[in-house]
Amino acid sequence: MRSRTRGWQPHSSWLELSLSKVNERLKRFAIDILGTVTHLLQVEGLCRRFGTLTALDNLTFDVPSGQVVGFLGPNGAGKTTTMRAIFGLTDLDAGEIKWNGSVVGQTERRRFGYMPEERGLYPGMLVGEQLQYLGRLHGMTRDDASTASISWLGRLGVADRADSKVESLSHGNQQRVQMAAALLHGPEVLVLDEPLAGLDPSGIDAIGEILTEQARSGCCVIFSSHQLDQVEDLCESVVIIDKGHLVVTGRVDDLATSGPRRLVVRVEGDRSATWAKGIDGVTVSEVTGGEARLVLDPSVDSDLVLQLARRAGRVTEFVFQRRRLSELFRDTVK
Amino acid sequence: MNFVIIAVVVVVAVTLRILRHRRRHSTGSRSTHSGPTSINSDIGLIVVREVRERFRGRVFKVGTLFILIVVAAAIVIPTLHNGKAKPQNVGIVGTLSSPLRATVLSSAKSVGVTVHLLPEADVKSAKSELQSGRINAVIVNGGQLIVNSPLSPTDSSPGAQLVRAVAENLGIAEAFQAARLSTSQSETLMSAKALPITSVQPGKGKALEATSLIGAILIFVMLSQYNTWILLGVMEEKSSRVIEVLLSAVRPLQLLTGKVMGIGLVALAQASLVVAFALVLSKSVGSHLLHGTGPLVVVSTLVWLVLGYAFYSWVYAAAGSTVERQDQVQSLALPLSLPMIFGYVVALTGASSGSPSALMRVLAYLPPTAPFEMPVLVGFSAVTWWEFLASAIISVLCTVGVARLAATIYRRAILRTGGRVRFRELLARTAR
Repeated sequence: MRSRTRGWQPHSSWLELSLSKVNERLKRFAIDILGTVTHLLQVEGLCRRFGTLTALDNLTFDVPSGQVVGFLGPNGAGKTTTMRAIFGLTDLDAGEIKWNGSVVGQTERRRFGYMPEERGLYPGMLVGEQLQYLGRLHGMTRDDASTASISWLGRLGVADRADSKVESLSHGNQQRVQMAAALLHGPEVLVLDEPLAGLDPSGIDAIGEILTEQARSGCCVIFSSHQLDQVEDLCESVVIIDKGHLVVTGRVDDLATSGPRRLVVRVEGDRSATWAKGIDGVTVSEVTGGEARLVLDPSVDSDLVLQLARRAGRVTEFVFQRRRLSELFRDTVK
Repeated sequence: MNFVIIAVVVVVAVTLRILRHRRRHSTGSRSTHSGPTSINSDIGLIVVREVRERFRGRVFKVGTLFILIVVAAAIVIPTLHNGKAKPQNVGIVGTLSSPLRATVLSSAKSVGVTVHLLPEADVKSAKSELQSGRINAVIVNGGQLIVNSPLSPTDSSPGAQLVRAVAENLGIAEAFQAARLSTSQSETLMSAKALPITSVQPGKGKALEATSLIGAILIFVMLSQYNTWILLGVMEEKSSRVIEVLLSAVRPLQLLTGKVMGIGLVALAQASLVVAFALVLSKSVGSHLLHGTGPLVVVSTLVWLVLGYAFYSWVYAAAGSTVERQDQVQSLALPLSLPMIFGYVVALTGASSGSPSALMRVLAYLPPTAPFEMPVLVGFSAVTWWEFLASAIISVLCTVGVARLAATIYRRAILRTGGRVRFRELLARTAR
């Protein structure tokens, strides 16, 4: 019995290994033949513990190229640890990061762009020189790094600060320079931790435009943010994590149309939507400015809801709506 | 001395050639990504940044100027004493017999000054002459010596030396007279000379002592300065979080090596400049600093500056990776510098005492203290070439070990934020 177990174990491992290799090759083949998705960043089974705290708990998700992916989760969910893991900046207890099916190493990471949560630049170094230096560390030539830094500084509206020291720039402008540092070398993967935090509306628009443009040009773009409305506007897909594990992932459109039906109803003379409270199978999720957002169970007839609303007063709005990202977030992250 | 000049020129030329080659190489390519760059080219980029930023800094410019001024002072000031002292005027009140007059003149000759004996009418007028500074001392009837102000025991000016010599010799002459010795007997005794002392080893003299002292001071100042740069540089990268951006492109060991090499090159360039300046200046002012074993002391100083930097730089880099605030740096700086201070004090004491102590000989083989002791021992001709080589090999081997340990600590500590990281935690087998 003992010898039999011994005999089977290596065979079983070998079989698993072979199946895993075949699986990887099929994935690569699929990636190659699909026109739209040409690259794929895979986060597979990441586990990371800090003492008794579990920061990442078997976290797995994909980031396809051509899409802007929002990376969401409450504070302490493990977003920053995941992003640091992509760049090998934290040791993992288990799991791996793959790029187009292969485990990511230093050579691949050199072609990635990273914007850390706590911005990181040499305070006393000139902006232009700093960008050239970082570009060259990513494998660019001196001339290309120079041209790219001028171009990105112009695009981000800080071209006139190339000869200034970083420490003399405002917070917002330092953030723009940090963004330029992540984009400078034309990365294949762009990982941005809170890129919109602290920016004015024009800065948010500029960065949103750049992220979309990068994704369209074939880059894998993933960024974290707590500004859910902006994420909803920018992203095609989202990954939501909580307590280190995956809660939900998918295309924003699919997630918005999934789940129970949502109604927006406005009744004159009843700004707090008291008429809707107590209806079986109807939950009032939000009331703002006299506008009530209702979540209907599958068994509830919407005509009945309309009748009850009419009894309460004149109905000025009665619209079926998609599930907003903020609602999805609240529903999934408890 | 020629050998030292050639060594300095070669170091500077090789550095310039490497920098020029890198520039030419980098402007040749046109593509955005120049492909997978080699580890060496990454380290090269980090080295060039460090060198450029340090050369630009005000601290480097002011520090270099300060060291040059100190070295110039150390070379030029001793040569000023070599010139002729100005003649001293001694007033004579009453009579001064010919033998005593001869005693005063011979006393002046023995301390290397010329003396003019001026007759004074009385003690009162002599005292006013003393107060006006026209005369330096007054001899009253050959039995009393008056000066304007009390002589300090540490006063080594020609006037003070003359007064001491005259007082001593007139006192002896008075004793001879009391002993009723004849004039010829007194003269024979007064002209007595000490027996010449000969030694097996060649003489060293004060000039060589000064060369060793300057070498030890230079090593201490430069090691303190450049190791502090390493400590602060690593801490700055950690505290400003630029480390995350850098390590997303290069490995920790590459970053650390580039920083150590870059700052080391700046240190070597500064040391070469100081040595070249010292050589040129000492030759032009006719200093005796580089006579005898002087050139060997200079070469030894440069060698041990490099070896000392190589050893300490890794230690300071590892320490810098565990902290992220200025107050934490200050609490680390003192314990780190204690071995340097100890070695430096022992070296200074040895160089001043004129002979190497047993402690100094032992410390010359320990890598943390050898950079201070070995150049002084070379100055004393107290080490053979193989002892020097053995100490250098011990230092290099220990540096390799320390560098490996430092790299491990750096890799584990540099990305850990939120307080000072404990060494015990980092060195634990399971630490990550």
